[in-house]
Amino acid sequence: MAQAIDTTYENAVARRRNLRKLWLAFLLFPAMAILLTFVFLPMASAVWYSVYDWDGLVRGEFVGLANFQEVLFDARNNKFLINAFFNNVKVFIALMIVQNGLALTLALLLAREPKGYRFYQIAFFLPVILSTVIIGFQWKLFLNPIFGLVNTLLRNVGLGDWAMPWLGLPETALGSMILVNAWHWVGFPTLVFLAAIHRIPKDLIEAARLDGASEWMIARDIIWPLMAPAVTIIVVLTFIGSFNWFEIPYIMGGLEGAPAYSTDMLGLLFYRTAFGSVSAGNSDFGTGSALAVLIFIFIFTFSTIATRYLTSREVELS
Amino acid sequence: MATIELRDVTKDFGGVQVIHGANLSIEDNEFVVFVGPSGCGKSTLLRLLSGLEELSSGEIHIDGERVDHLPPARRGLAMVFQSYALYPHMTVFQNMSYALKVAKKSKQEIEAKVHAAAEILQLTELLDRKPKALSGGQRQRVAIGRAIVRDPKVFLFDEPLSNLDAKLRVQMRIELTNLHQQLQSTMIYVTHDQVEAMTMADKIVVMRNGHIEQVGAPLELFNKPVNKFVAGFIGSPAMNFFQGKIISANEGAYEAQLDNGAQFKFKTKAGLLNAEDKIDLGVRPEDLQPNQDGSGKIVGKATAVERLGAQTYVYLSSPIKESMIIHHAGDLDVQSGEEIEVSFNLESCHLFGPDEQRIEFDG
Amino acid sequence: MSTMNKKSGDLGTWLMHIFLGVNAVIMLYPIIMMALSSFKTNKEIFSSPFSLPQSFSLDNFAVIWNETNVPRYFINSTIVTGLSVLVLLVVGTMAAYALSRYKFKGNIMISLFFLSGLMLPLRLAIIPLFIQLKTLGLVDNLLGLICIYTAMSLPATVFIMTGFLRSLPSELEDSARMDGASEFRIMVEIMVPLITPAMVIAGIYNAVPIWNDFFFPLIFIQSPEWKTLAQGLTAFFGEYSINYGVLYAGLTLAALPIMLVFIVQSRRFIAGMTAGAIK
Ligand SMILES: Nc1ncnc2c1ncn2[C@@H]1O[C@H](COP(=O)(O)OP(=O)(O)OP(=O)(O)O)[C@@H](O)[C@H]1O
Ligand SMILES: [Mg+2]
Repeated sequence: MAQAIDTTYENAVARRRNLRKLWLAFLLFPAMAILLTFVFLPMASAVWYSVYDWDGLVRGEFVGLANFQEVLFDARNNKFLINAFFNNVKVFIALMIVQNGLALTLALLLAREPKGYRFYQIAFFLPVILSTVIIGFQWKLFLNPIFGLVNTLLRNVGLGDWAMPWLGLPETALGSMILVNAWHWVGFPTLVFLAAIHRIPKDLIEAARLDGASEWMIARDIIWPLMAPAVTIIVVLTFIGSFNWFEIPYIMGGLEGAPAYSTDMLGLLFYRTAFGSVSAGNSDFGTGSALAVLIFIFIFTFSTIATRYLTSREVELS
Repeated sequence: MATIELRDVTKDFGGVQVIHGANLSIEDNEFVVFVGPSGCGKSTLLRLLSGLEELSSGEIHIDGERVDHLPPARRGLAMVFQSYALYPHMTVFQNMSYALKVAKKSKQEIEAKVHAAAEILQLTELLDRKPKALSGGQRQRVAIGRAIVRDPKVFLFDEPLSNLDAKLRVQMRIELTNLHQQLQSTMIYVTHDQVEAMTMADKIVVMRNGHIEQVGAPLELFNKPVNKFVAGFIGSPAMNFFQGKIISANEGAYEAQLDNGAQFKFKTKAGLLNAEDKIDLGVRPEDLQPNQDGSGKIVGKATAVERLGAQTYVYLSSPIKESMIIHHAGDLDVQSGEEIEVSFNLESCHLFGPDEQRIEFDG
Repeated sequence: MSTMNKKSGDLGTWLMHIFLGVNAVIMLYPIIMMALSSFKTNKEIFSSPFSLPQSFSLDNFAVIWNETNVPRYFINSTIVTGLSVLVLLVVGTMAAYALSRYKFKGNIMISLFFLSGLMLPLRLAIIPLFIQLKTLGLVDNLLGLICIYTAMSLPATVFIMTGFLRSLPSELEDSARMDGASEFRIMVEIMVPLITPAMVIAGIYNAVPIWNDFFFPLIFIQSPEWKTLAQGLTAFFGEYSINYGVLYAGLTLAALPIMLVFIVQSRRFIAGMTAGAIK
């Protein structure tokens, strides 16, 4: 009898536990299923696909690392790869200096909450919310050699010699696009930096000021080290963004990195390899996947190393 | 109408046992207070009772029925939380009626019950406000009202007054005691404030490190603490302890020596203590008096004096003990730094053996 | 930092204002020019590019409304963004709720699973994704885009929502349990209403990039009737490549809705869009 009663209690408890498991499964299942199907599965497949030969949408034979070899060492591909890679490197370095350097300056100034503080925030952030397509086309129109506002402006202020087909010359095309990108995004790091600065306790800065530190010393010795986590994030995001750079060069220079591949990027090269183009020939999912895997490994490795390195110089604020 | 019984209740969190076999009976209509130092498991025990935590082993019976498999709401309990836990996005009325709404009670019934409870707690004016627009004391009342509305067999309170200022706390203490009388239901109240425990409880449960140390009426605990811990915990200011050892044991007649050399004799059951056993002699601050009437005498220097008019506290430093406290009813003209003599009677002392358990004097 | 010395008049302050002001002009002027040019005729754009338009004629906009697919693109973008964000917030909040409010075996593993999703650049898996969607019949289909955007943005959403949900006191939940509410009810009636601001932030964080994206439509959408706004603009640019007034009007029209919302809700927008980068 006592035995029988005991099991009813255990059953009741077990039922409650099962119900809880079911509830948790209900909460977690949809998100996990969606993520698995549309992110993890394709990512894994990319690796899988890269070791096969492909004929259009049809998978052919297992070819081992042949696709990787083709991407890396085939004389024709190799030339494009190296050119695109170094263009991405240039983009990264230039954005770090122009975009993030300007952002840091703006954030330090805004942190002093000058008159018009809200207005400046909105003004700097406004382009960030716009689509790259809009930005790209808008600047393409502005940079038009004949009717573009940029050249017209230069002529009007007497700098007519400087007017040039910005996007048409290999020397200026990439630089122009980088500046457009900086114009588009500078508000983002600015406000991330600003939020990080605002998070530094005010007394720390006031104490330094009472100690007689100059504004420059405060920025260098207090604010800069304490905003390190934000710097880490922005550096890593800039790195990933630079090596995934696609939209601006695609819209402003086209799929072939015009002029003369001076604005060619890994992203464009990948697109051409995978889906076919004049220079890359027919669509080839095998070499395309191999290139994607290589780009991924590169970005992943370097952003992990960078995160490690940058995080090690962060100071805990508590 | 609710009796509660805990049988060998244990709880562990990821292998760490925080309740070690608690046994406890609570009578109908009793006001029971759990006290103990922070982290001793009071809240955990309350949450086990409420059903918010699952037992690791043991049984809980309410009114003779086993309930430990039931979800919280089906145990007929209501709980008032330390942070009040009012739903910030709901008005006072919605807060108080939420449980009834969940239980699908009729609109009229909900209205009636909420208004009745609001009446008792003087909340009628505030029913349309959100918690943010209430003072601490008002929020407290809403939290209690939310419990009352459900007509529970048992009220559970987890340090409900600790977020209030001192004056409000005294006032709410009295209101809660009145409420208990008015509602005639069982209440279990967790606090680490022993004044609250002493003033409100019918029965106090003293806990330490997940063990129930003693259960009893407030004065029973005060007068006959079962061990050194309870003795030190109950009573304010805390009891003074003097260390010493047994120097001779002879058929229930003992002789002991305190660390300063003072000796005393006492009788108790034979065989309880042996020579060389360590003992503690506890003296309450109010049993140490600045006169020479008692048999035990201590001379020391006052290191601090607090003269409140109706009572005086003197902190005394002496060779026997670095710091002890004296509580004198009435004013005492002592200056800090002055040397004074105090005395006490052995009969008013509490003796604890080597295992810190109470040893009753015999005759 | 409002206590920093704001002595106006000294040279440093002047330089700061000039620097900030020039930057603000650089940021705003191109957008204003774009908007102004959209009212101009081609001839006006060539002859007096910097002056105000002679009249605020809506002819260019009328061309877009009557002769192009832009309104259609607009509707498609709205559908894709709206549904993606809706599904994201529901599904993401559910998962975040489980991870932040319950202790269970595997909690850490599943959290890491979502977290690792943050680091996978889905663009590089575009080939398998293409084949996969093709087999599912989701190529050239708005539903395909919705699936991709939802999946892609889930990790960040779960991450953001978990942070907010963790900050809610557990006593609220306990209190609702004592009141007899089911776990489902606790989530829907007690906890979720308290994090609606967080959901707005997460919503903006996701909606803006989805609305603006053109990479995935570029690959997955071919038919004009399913193109999204950002993608559709490229087609439109090919078609009207010499009619500058119309082009500017198209850009302005595409930028307008999001800019209006931004100006009204700038605080939330900034909080939302930087949510992933600020711990
Ligand atoms: N959910 C939990 N997981 C792990 N350990 C817990 C949990 N809840 C409580 N504990 C541990 O159990 C012990 C008892 O905690 P409990 O909250 O019951 O103490 P308490 O007596 O209420 O203390 P206080 O007076 O500070 O409220 C503590 O050591 C605590 O760290
Ligand atoms: Mg507690």
